[in-house]
Amino acid sequence: MLSVCPYFHVHQPYRIKRYRVFDIGKDNQYFNDGSATDLNNQRIVEKVANKSYRPTNAVLKQLLEEHPDFCFALSFSGTVLEQFAAYAPDVLESFQELVATGRVEILADTYYHSLAFFYSVPEFERQVALHQEKIQSLFGVTPKVFRNTELSYRNDLAKWCEDNGYTGIMAEGWEPVLGWRSPNYLYRPVGCERIKVLLKNYKLSDDIAFRFGNRAWESFPLDADTFAKWVHAHHGDGNTINLFMDYETFGEHQWEDTGIFDFLRAVPHRLSAHDDTSFKTPSQTIEAYDAVGEIDVPDVLTWADTDRDLTAWVGNDIQRDAITAIYQMETDILATNHEELIETWRKLQTSDHFYYMCTKWFNDGDVHAYFSPYESPYDAYIAFMNSLSDLQLRVRTLQKEPVSEISLDTPELAAPEDSKEDTVSGSTQEPVITTDTHQWFRSTMKASLEWMQKTIARVTGWFRSPKR
Amino acid sequence: MSQSATLSIMRVLTFGWDYPPMRNGGLGVACYGLTRELVDQGIDVIFVLPRSQPTLGSSRFIFADVEKNIRVYEVPSAIAPYQSSQSVQTMFDETGTRVVSHHTMIDAVNQFAARGATIAATEEFDVIHAHDWTSYLAGVAAKRVSGKPLILHVHATTFDQAAGDNIDPVIFDIERNAFNYADKVVTVSQFTKDILTSKHGIAPEKIEVVHNGCDTYEPPRYTPTLQEWREEGKRIVLYHGRITIQKGVDYFVRAARRVIDEDPNVMFVISGWGDMTNQIIAQVGEMGLSGHVLFAGALWEEERDQMYQSVDLVVMPSVSEPFGLVPLEAMQHGTPSLISKQSGVAEVMTHVLKVDFWDVDEMANKILATLRYGVMQKQLIAQGREELPRFSWKHAAEKVSQLYQSLRNLITS
Repeated sequence: MLSVCPYFHVHQPYRIKRYRVFDIGKDNQYFNDGSATDLNNQRIVEKVANKSYRPTNAVLKQLLEEHPDFCFALSFSGTVLEQFAAYAPDVLESFQELVATGRVEILADTYYHSLAFFYSVPEFERQVALHQEKIQSLFGVTPKVFRNTELSYRNDLAKWCEDNGYTGIMAEGWEPVLGWRSPNYLYRPVGCERIKVLLKNYKLSDDIAFRFGNRAWESFPLDADTFAKWVHAHHGDGNTINLFMDYETFGEHQWEDTGIFDFLRAVPHRLSAHDDTSFKTPSQTIEAYDAVGEIDVPDVLTWADTDRDLTAWVGNDIQRDAITAIYQMETDILATNHEELIETWRKLQTSDHFYYMCTKWFNDGDVHAYFSPYESPYDAYIAFMNSLSDLQLRVRTLQKEPVSEISLDTPELAAPEDSKEDTVSGSTQEPVITTDTHQWFRSTMKASLEWMQKTIARVTGWFRSPKR
Repeated sequence: MSQSATLSIMRVLTFGWDYPPMRNGGLGVACYGLTRELVDQGIDVIFVLPRSQPTLGSSRFIFADVEKNIRVYEVPSAIAPYQSSQSVQTMFDETGTRVVSHHTMIDAVNQFAARGATIAATEEFDVIHAHDWTSYLAGVAAKRVSGKPLILHVHATTFDQAAGDNIDPVIFDIERNAFNYADKVVTVSQFTKDILTSKHGIAPEKIEVVHNGCDTYEPPRYTPTLQEWREEGKRIVLYHGRITIQKGVDYFVRAARRVIDEDPNVMFVISGWGDMTNQIIAQVGEMGLSGHVLFAGALWEEERDQMYQSVDLVVMPSVSEPFGLVPLEAMQHGTPSLISKQSGVAEVMTHVLKVDFWDVDEMANKILATLRYGVMQKQLIAQGREELPRFSWKHAAEKVSQLYQSLRNLITS
């Protein structure tokens, strides 16, 4: 008995436009590029919808209809779901139709496709909750199996997932972690009792995701029969073949002319042509098999490049500077209670922004070894940091507007950031002495004034936001 | 010399116009860097210069103005027409002394060609290599008298000097005819190769790109200059190069205005001299930037290096730059650069900021961002220094050496 567990990850970030130093304090729309470049998010979503989402969903729908055994899993970032709703609502509907069959499982994720777990667990938890709400509202299901951004995994993340009721978690089946063991079984994370880890069979997954259209590859062109043979060769040597990849493999990373759609159309039939081969969703896989051993991953493991770590996102100084700066804002920005500001802050946490600043392949002179809408990692960093500077300015402006006494009531608001502030004109801090009736009256008045100002700020933000 | 020795040792007759330690600019520096490495790789280089001068390095030099080389030699008819050109160009060195004692540049070029033919008739060699337009005719003449294969090395074209299509028609004719007559053309960048294919109509197969290199030594550290500004906490941005239309200094000044509007704490240094100097000084005045721009004159060697080491950022805003050594030199001294995308060096250098020369807003944005975000400035330096060894003259010389071999084989087979 061997089952195949296909899982496709759907994601688009909000790319930051070419935002200049001069725009700081004047323009608070960082993601609304209207140019004919790859920084235009609407343009990208429309393009990928035509090349990938629409044709792939049509094939997947047909497969589900024709093939009673076929099933798979999807994961969505909240940012892609928002952009579908805004720019390609029919795509969202076609995904909803797939999920409505009951044979497509949705995985848990962070809403903003962020690396928050490694920088702020409370913020990570808020984004997982937001994601769960979004999935529930759009698809009417609650995910039970977790996958973290870029398949990033670590012992403490698995523990968090177990403690929060998840039955499984995805990770890369990487030899340095597995040793002699096979990725084709389920494992138990060290320190956990119930949760199981599903490991990506990266060789078979990457044959489709990375190598399929490569003319220099010895197995090019790969047909469904050959691929099915490779999978069937694992009979007796495993329980599950986990084929995890970006959804955009179909039509966007591998273009239609590579024959990827014909392959997708044919491969489920070929796979189940073997008597003892079936399809299972991640939850069904977890249900069907026991963990055969324990895996221990003390350092972050991801599905990225040859290093399988976070160096593609936080491997150089500008990346670390940018990601540190965004998480340093957490206390201050949450204290504003300003929905639009907080949402913008979260959009800036999307891991893609840091990936675009990656320089690790640069010294080979191979600047096209990674995908980025920016001409250079430095351009990506400048746009990010300028936007972040504007966001910081907006937070400071809000901090100054509602009377400065707030910082006395809630000391955590008097963050170290304040000391670096430019001269604050006319906002001297006065102590509040509540024993005095007059002072009590003053502070009550100020509190209600503060509430009104916050409300005004929130409503104003509401109107400023383009997507409401 | 025995037959076998002449077969195994590659001997090249090279024509150039400038050579260090004379201070004329990038051409001489490039000829020296390349020749030094070619000699190191066992190539026998005979370097022909138009006039006697001191030279660096161990190749053999022939000066075309030395008595025995000045013989009346019939100039091949194909290059004769240019003698009648009216374009008057005179070269001076940095002290204002005339270094070319001819009425016109074209006279000098033709005279060099004639003497080149004489030299080619008396020397033994396998390949001819001529650097830049002033030597092309000498290379052509040498090929006509010897029948040896000719390589022309393009360090610049008249389109670069003109920063557009307002070109010198005489030079353009020399370039186009010489490129057609040559067996191979080397350009210092893809940028220049594109000019040759689109403007001169040369077949791309005939053109080989060999990017320039730079010296990879660790330069001495000097005491910083502009101390008062630094003590006042000013940030300093440098332009270093000739002040001509090709170099885009006017765009730099406009970007400076945009920067000052945002951050008055920034100072700009313009180091160099050229036919646009007065115009740029006037522009600085008109834009109200006199208090923010320092004209440092042409800086050389120690003074230049000291300047590189004392500034926060170097800007190379060239309108059309076949290669552009400035950002590599700046990086040797630990200073990052913002360079125009219309340059050859932008093709090979990665840890550098790039901008379209005409995009003044973006130029100002990147200047401000570098000064604002110290982490990026430090990373540009740290990773930029790591990539410097990729731009060695040794690497360039290896490609040129292969080209020599392929041409010798081509002719003899």
